[in-house]
Amino acid sequence: MAKVFIYPATSLILSDLVARFGHKPLGAALGIRERIQTAGVDSPPLQITPEEPKRGLKYAAVEVPSGVRGRMAIYGPLIEEAEAAIIVNDADLAFGCMGCARTNELILFTLRQSGIPILELDYPGDEEEGVRFVAAVRKFLDGLPEEVEA
Amino acid sequence: MAEYTPGYAGTVTKYVFIESPSMTPGELALRAYEASEGVLIKETCFGLQVTGEADAVDRLIKVIRSIDPDHIFVKDRGFPPGDSRRCRANLGGARPGYLGHEREFRLLRYISRGLEELERGEGEEPEPVPPGHEKRPKLDIKRLQDLINLEEP
Amino acid sequence: MSRKVRIAQLSCGSEYSGVQNEIYRAAEAVDAEVFFPDIALADVERAVDAFGLDVRSADLKLMIGRGMALVEGKVDADAVFIGTCFRCAEAAIVRNELRRYIHENSRLPVVSYSFTERTTAGTLLTRMEALTTIARRRALLAREAQTGITMGIDSGSSTTKAAVMKDNEIIGTGWLPTTEVIKSAEGVVAQALEMAGLVREDIQAIGTTGYGRFLVGRHFGADLVQEELTVNSKGAVYLADHQRGASTVIDIGGMDNKAISVIDGIPGTFTMGGICAGASGRFLEMTAKRLGVDITELGPLAMKGLSKNVPMNSYCIVFGTQSLVNALAAGSSREDVAAAACHSVAEQVFEQQLQEIDIKEPVIMVGGTSLIEGLVHAMGDLLQVKVVVPPHSQYIGAVGSALLASGFIEGE
Repeated sequence: MAKVFIYPATSLILSDLVARFGHKPLGAALGIRERIQTAGVDSPPLQITPEEPKRGLKYAAVEVPSGVRGRMAIYGPLIEEAEAAIIVNDADLAFGCMGCARTNELILFTLRQSGIPILELDYPGDEEEGVRFVAAVRKFLDGLPEEVEA
Repeated sequence: MAEYTPGYAGTVTKYVFIESPSMTPGELALRAYEASEGVLIKETCFGLQVTGEADAVDRLIKVIRSIDPDHIFVKDRGFPPGDSRRCRANLGGARPGYLGHEREFRLLRYISRGLEELERGEGEEPEPVPPGHEKRPKLDIKRLQDLINLEEP
Repeated sequence: MSRKVRIAQLSCGSEYSGVQNEIYRAAEAVDAEVFFPDIALADVERAVDAFGLDVRSADLKLMIGRGMALVEGKVDADAVFIGTCFRCAEAAIVRNELRRYIHENSRLPVVSYSFTERTTAGTLLTRMEALTTIARRRALLAREAQTGITMGIDSGSSTTKAAVMKDNEIIGTGWLPTTEVIKSAEGVVAQALEMAGLVREDIQAIGTTGYGRFLVGRHFGADLVQEELTVNSKGAVYLADHQRGASTVIDIGGMDNKAISVIDGIPGTFTMGGICAGASGRFLEMTAKRLGVDITELGPLAMKGLSKNVPMNSYCIVFGTQSLVNALAAGSSREDVAAAACHSVAEQVFEQQLQEIDIKEPVIMVGGTSLIEGLVHAMGDLLQVKVVVPPHSQYIGAVGSALLASGFIEGE
């Protein structure tokens, strides 16, 4: 079972397919869950405190907006953990955790720099593309190591 | 600074989406309850939310998926169900993630089609070409020159 | 207890900057609630096309969709808070254009703000208070004449002012540097009463404003305790005798600056800057001290100089002062240095704040710094308009408070 970073990190489709084909999807929900389930200073709604943009300095310089650094504090560790990634390139309407284009550019760059295997594709626009989309994801995932279980 | 004590610590929550002409979220919930093993199940407009200890949730998800594998989709959720910080009633509107679901929900039928096809043609499909890699070729410079010449009187 | 004021939040990045809770807290402190206008994905797609600003970030698209839903009346709100990350160019464009669009197409009061992870509820409080006041007290703000005998106290960060008014006339004023908040307030009240020839018991209603408004308000049992954005807007159009129509109010204070776009005496959009002291009256005070003149002499001195003769390489209060000192050492005239200091403050306010509101004439400058002739002149130069400085402009907060307080005599 490989850890596969999904982009958009909020994607239902990618999260489902990665898990369905026996691997572990790494997405925004894991980062948010970790914060929501950790005791500390109350900072609704996401339990992201002003400390997080400071932690994000590991991934982006101080002149980068706080929202980018705060988001990178969530995604940076997940990207470091990832063994592969699937990227949907035309994810133009992913909001919230994926709502900032500058963060998204940095996530994609960091993934491409990391040297892990990456599958890049677009959302399907019809049934025929749906067939190709699923087949490509399946093939990519089949090529990843499955030490634990399929 | 107020202290924060998390609820549902150590649990996992997953969304279950159903995009099927033959089954409603209510019917899915009934089938899920039978296999719940203490996992909390909440029916929603798009399917279910299930919350519990990770292994139990995984077992339940396996059962749920088997009900209609090509039309049931599963995703992790950061928040437990009914959390006031994400509740539409408290926010005055849907949280941003909901709109993202709306975006992908439109595409699920294509994914379902892809999953059906995968089962049918298992092992014999040609090398898959992922969508999105076709680049439109640039206009040949000679061809452009011809077009310009055609326009000139 | 009145209904909570509903403030629609249009934002990008607040949750991830860790400041959303600060926004909630600031709203709560003024009995308001922040909410996110509910729209569907199709609304976002339609709005982005209709608005015509093609941005990449989906949360900015969502902001545009929510803003249009407010203007079109599909979602009800009393006021709008627009917030995006500081230093994000894409967001700054959306923030500004959305602010302008809402201001021009609705009656909703709007404040825009760019936050960092250091933004606190305290910073946002005055802005939220102004938003709720505009939403909640339209009737009070519609008041155009002072009645009875009232007093206003403006407890500012640098100076404390008081004004006593009777039958729409200012009959007494007081002015002191702020040292101990209560002591300074008592001092100016005594001055104003003495000038008016009255005693405390003659005063029928009291209003307070400025940083020390809560403390001073409690001490004097004020009828009205109000932030300076609405009070100063009111005072400015009252003193400039321009209560109807559009105007722009600029108040360069000791600690922060306000730029307010006013319609019929009520703020429409406004900005408040407070991060840098280099753009405040404090810098001019330091300059006056360095030049060995009283602050009241700085303005006339600056009028005799030419700012461009002194190179100013920084807006920072420390480095800016250093530039002035260097210029003096290199032989620049005191007049030129005074003019350069005025120009620097005016330019910084122009660049950082006046870009966030729409300048409509008359442009009215108020507050103590409006008495510094050189500063008013520099501002007029930059804006290419004749800046109006009404009589008693330094008492703006006190006069505005006294004017509004008279609404409480009749039991409003």
